[in-house]
Amino acid sequence: MATGGCDERQRVATPLTGFSAPFVFGRFEVPADNPLTEEAVELGRRLFYDPRLSAAGTTSCSTCHIQRLAFTDGRTTSVGVSGRPLAFNSMTLANLMWGPQRFFWNGRAASLEEQALIPIQHADEMAQDLGRLVAELAADASYRELFETAYGETSPAAIARALASFLRTLVSSNSRYDQFLRGEIALDAQEESGRKLFMAHPDVKVSLRGANCIDCHSQFLTGGFSARYDGFANNGLDDEEHLQPGLQVVTGNPAHRGLFKVPSLRNVALTAPYMHDGRFRTLEEVLDHYDRGVRNSSTLSPLIVEADNRGGPAGGRISLHLTAGEKAAIIAFLHTLTDQDFVTAGRFSDPFASK
Amino acid sequence: MTQSTKLGLFSLYAVVLLILAACSDKQEGASVAAPPPAAQRNVEESQAMVLLRGLPTLGTVHSVAIVELDPDAANFGAILQEVELPDLTLPLHHLYYSPTGRLYSTGLDPSCSLAEVGLSRNAEGAAVINGVNCLDTGGQQVGEDIMWHTVDGKEYMFVTFMGGTGVDQADCGSVGVFDPQSNAVIKIIQARKSAAAEGAPYILYPHGISAYQDRLVVSSTVHPDLATGVGNAITVIDLNTLEPIQNIVVEDAKPVGFPSSPVEVLFVRPSIAPGAAPAVLVNTMFGFEVWKIPYNEADKSFGAPVKAYDGATAGTGVPLEFYGNATELFISHALPGIVKRYQLSSLPELVPSGEDIKAEAGAHHMIFFTAASGRNVIAIQNNLLNLGKAEDGDPTDVDFMAKVNDHSITVHDLQSGERLARLGFKERYNKGVENLEALFGSGFVHHH
Repeated sequence: MATGGCDERQRVATPLTGFSAPFVFGRFEVPADNPLTEEAVELGRRLFYDPRLSAAGTTSCSTCHIQRLAFTDGRTTSVGVSGRPLAFNSMTLANLMWGPQRFFWNGRAASLEEQALIPIQHADEMAQDLGRLVAELAADASYRELFETAYGETSPAAIARALASFLRTLVSSNSRYDQFLRGEIALDAQEESGRKLFMAHPDVKVSLRGANCIDCHSQFLTGGFSARYDGFANNGLDDEEHLQPGLQVVTGNPAHRGLFKVPSLRNVALTAPYMHDGRFRTLEEVLDHYDRGVRNSSTLSPLIVEADNRGGPAGGRISLHLTAGEKAAIIAFLHTLTDQDFVTAGRFSDPFASK
Repeated sequence: MTQSTKLGLFSLYAVVLLILAACSDKQEGASVAAPPPAAQRNVEESQAMVLLRGLPTLGTVHSVAIVELDPDAANFGAILQEVELPDLTLPLHHLYYSPTGRLYSTGLDPSCSLAEVGLSRNAEGAAVINGVNCLDTGGQQVGEDIMWHTVDGKEYMFVTFMGGTGVDQADCGSVGVFDPQSNAVIKIIQARKSAAAEGAPYILYPHGISAYQDRLVVSSTVHPDLATGVGNAITVIDLNTLEPIQNIVVEDAKPVGFPSSPVEVLFVRPSIAPGAAPAVLVNTMFGFEVWKIPYNEADKSFGAPVKAYDGATAGTGVPLEFYGNATELFISHALPGIVKRYQLSSLPELVPSGEDIKAEAGAHHMIFFTAASGRNVIAIQNNLLNLGKAEDGDPTDVDFMAKVNDHSITVHDLQSGERLARLGFKERYNKGVENLEALFGSGFVHHH
C-alpha cells in the first residue's frame, strides 16, 4: 500500500524555516521520524482540505474543522459522509504540539499521526479505504511529487505524517491575551477582573473569589496538559447513572469513567457549542453549568467539588456561587483568547480555494 | 577609597585565602548514568539561562546564553545558544521572569541598566534568544533586582538601581517603578541622603528588594564603584504613596571594618511560608550576618532587628542570596563558598534543615531542577562580582573581590549536597558567569 522509493526524502526535504512559537508555551517535541519540513507541511495542508480523503469525495478534514471557527464546525456533534451525527463535538485544532499525547475527547489516539487516519477510515466520517486513497493520490502528479519530496513514498504512513505536520503548524499566538502577555496591550477592567477570577481557586478564608477555571485549564493557551492522562477530567456534566465511558474506553479503568479531555480554551468564543457532546450553546450556559449545574458522581473532579465562593459545599449543592457580573467578566476574559490572525491566516487556509 | 577601607579589604582577603585553602575538592565533568527514555524527560528543565561576562585580558565579550547543566548529560556544560553583546562595556547583571513569563535583565552598563530579553521557540521546540532590548529607565543606572508586586489591585514592576540617577553621585540610588505591561517609567523613588533632613528616610545604593502587602523594603549596599561608600540599613517604602518612610540599621560587629552592607532582603510572608509571622530577613555582605526584623502587620510597624546568624563566629562571610523550594530556604555565602539550608516551615527563624552544600568561592545564585537520572539537584553559580585578577593584568581587579570568584557553576545532589559536576566558565569559555536562572520555570521561588 505504498508507492515510490524511500531514499529521496532526506536529499530534498527542506527543514521548516520561518517557524516561531511563543517561548511561554513551553517545550514541545516533534517525532524524530517526522520532522517539520516545508514539503511535509504543504502536503499536509493540501490533504487536510482535499475531499478525496473521503470515499464519496465530498468530505475533507476541513468539513468538520473550519478555519473561521477555529477549526471546529459549529455543530452539536459533527456529521460526516453517512449523514449520521457523530458521537462527539468537533475539537478545535490549535497549538496541538503542547497538548497531551492522547487525542480526541476520549483520548483514543496516542499521537497526531495516529489520530490523522482514524476519521478517514471511520464509516460515518470519511469512510475511505486507505489503499484506494493511496492509489488515487499516487495517480495525481502533483501529489506524487509532494509525497516523493516529503517522504519518499505515497503511503498511509506518509499521509498520516503529512497531516500531523500540518496540524503541528497550526499555532495560534496573537490573541489579545497573547498581546497582553507580550506587554503590547493592557486588558480592560472587566477583562482583567475575569482574568483574576479565571486564575483563582476560591478561598473564603482569605476572601479570595475565584471561578476555579485554572485548576483544570492550566494550559488553556495550548492543547492541554502534557502528561499522559492528566489532561482528562469529569467536569460534572452527568450524574452517576448517566456517566459516559470517556477515557475508560482507552484505559479500562473505572476511575476514568466520565473523564473527557480538558480542551484548550484558545479561540473558545468561536468554538460553540461546547463540551464533548456540544450540549451547551453559549459561554453563558457553560458558566451557568460550572456555577450551579454540576452533577455529582464518583469520578467528579474534587477540584470542582470543593470550589465554592461561599465556602461550601458541606453537604449542600455544588456551586461556585458566582455573581452575574463575575460570570460576565470571565466571559469577557475568554473573548480575549480569540486570535483573528489564526482564523484568517492564509497559510492555514484552503490551498485549493486560493487557487 | 580611603586607606582604612583598603586595609579592611586586604584583611578580608587574607581571611579569604585561609578559608579557601581548605576547599579544593574541585571536580570537573559529570558522572554519566543511563538516562531514562527521552519521552519521560523534560529535556529543558536542566537548561539554564546564564549571563556571561567577557574578561578583558582574555578578549571575550559579554553575552547571554543557554547552557546545559544536567550532570548526567553527555553535553554537560555546552552552550546551546549564545547572543553576544559587543556594544556593552559592562555586562547584564541579573535575570528575572515576570509573572507573565517575560524575561528581564538588569544591567551594569549605563546604556543598558534594564533590558527585556526576547525569547521564542524554533521548529524543533528549542528556546531561541532573539535579542536584548535595552529599556528606558529615566536615567537610572546600575540595575540590580526586580520584583513584581500588586498594590491595591494595581501591579508594578519595581527595580533597584544602585547607581540611581548617576553613579557620579556619592550617595546615589533609586527605586524605579515601572508599568509591567509597557515597561514605561511610572516614578523614580529617590531620597538622597545628602538632601534628606536629619533623621529623614533615605535611599542609598539599593540592591535587594522584597515586599509584603503595602510595604516594600530595599537594602543599602555599596556604591557601584565599590569605593565611595557603603550602606548599613534597609529602607522601608510605603507603597500607597511610593515614598520612603523609614530606615532600619542592621549592623553590629563590623568584622572587616566596613559598614554592614545589606545586600539581599526577603520579606518572609504567608505566601512563601504558610503560617509564618511576617518578618524581613537581611543578608549583610560585609557584616557577614543574617538579620531578622519582625513586622507587625496590624499596625504596620517594624520591630528591632535581631541577629539571626553570625558568620564572623561561624566561619562564613559575604552572605548573598535567598532562594527557596517547597520545604527549604537556602542562603548562599560567598566565603568560603557554601549554601546553608533552613526549614521553610520554621521561618522567620533560621532552623537548619541539613548540612551545608559546599560549592566554591563566590557561591551566589542558584537554581533547582531534576536531572535526567531523576535526581533532584541544585546548581550554584560561584562568583561574587566576576572581577579579574591584577596579576593577570586585568584592570577590573578590585581588592579581594576579584578572588572571591571561581567563575564556575557547580551542580550538587540536593539531598546530600554531593558535588556531581563543575563547569568552569573561565577555563572553558574564557568568560565569567554573572548570573543564572532556570530556562523555563523560575528558580526564584522565594527570592524576594
